[in-house]
Amino acid sequence: MIPLSAYLILSFILLGLGIFGMIIRRNLITVLMSMELSLNAVNVMLVGVDSHIHLVDGQVFSLFVIAIAAAEAAVGLGIVVSIFRLRRVDSTDELTDMRG
Amino acid sequence: MLSWIAFSAFSAIAISFSLGVVFASNPIYVILCLLSVLVAIAGIFFVAGAEIVGAIQLLIYAVAVTVFYVFVLTAVPWEKALKKDSHYRVEGVLSFPLLIALYGQMIFTFLLGISASPKGEFKRLISSFGSTEVVGGILFSKYILAFELVSLVLLVGMIGAILIGRKESQTYDSP
Repeated sequence: MIPLSAYLILSFILLGLGIFGMIIRRNLITVLMSMELSLNAVNVMLVGVDSHIHLVDGQVFSLFVIAIAAAEAAVGLGIVVSIFRLRRVDSTDELTDMRG
Repeated sequence: MLSWIAFSAFSAIAISFSLGVVFASNPIYVILCLLSVLVAIAGIFFVAGAEIVGAIQLLIYAVAVTVFYVFVLTAVPWEKALKKDSHYRVEGVLSFPLLIALYGQMIFTFLLGISASPKGEFKRLISSFGSTEVVGGILFSKYILAFELVSLVLLVGMIGAILIGRKESQTYDSP
């Protein structure tokens, strides 16, 4: 029986690395990949807590998260390809129309 | 003991390759590191006893989504991208304390919420059946509305991806 804190620590590390990658990466596709990493960290935490308290609701939620992540990958990559086709850029630094 | 060894190995693989996801420069290396992370996380799911989630993770994430990323990385002519000077380099370095603050906040929340532990109501059901049957039963009875909504979201996402990624007749750099 693996303790709950092991799952939580692994999930924290993966989520922090994913959010850090979303902040520091500039390529649009690698930003999306870092977001996939964060979603997987959430899945690890759901399944870990689930196996600890002997429920299955967390597994159902992680199935939902996987489905939504597939839809997010489709729409996000479509947006990235559309941005590339319109602007000829692949970096977040050049998308400064809103002065962000 | 065996599950501890498997969990430690899969965790080490996941963390080291997620460092590769964050710090590798070539996007193909990044997608390979992400694939390794996804397979390791599927192994963690199998260790945790969630067989159906691990199988779905391997099937959908490690096959479908990764192949989709590889298609986009290889089919789009990224070498035609306009290279400009990067003007946000200092802000990228300055975001590192933000990560430390995020970790601190997560540790604080963890220490705050570790005392709260809900009671399991399906413990007897799980011990009588396997895990996959219980997941299917819960998914199609208690969460049937969410299941249908997820199918609707997938349909809308598919239509939106086709509409967004379709070839426009006029772009900004065409005269």
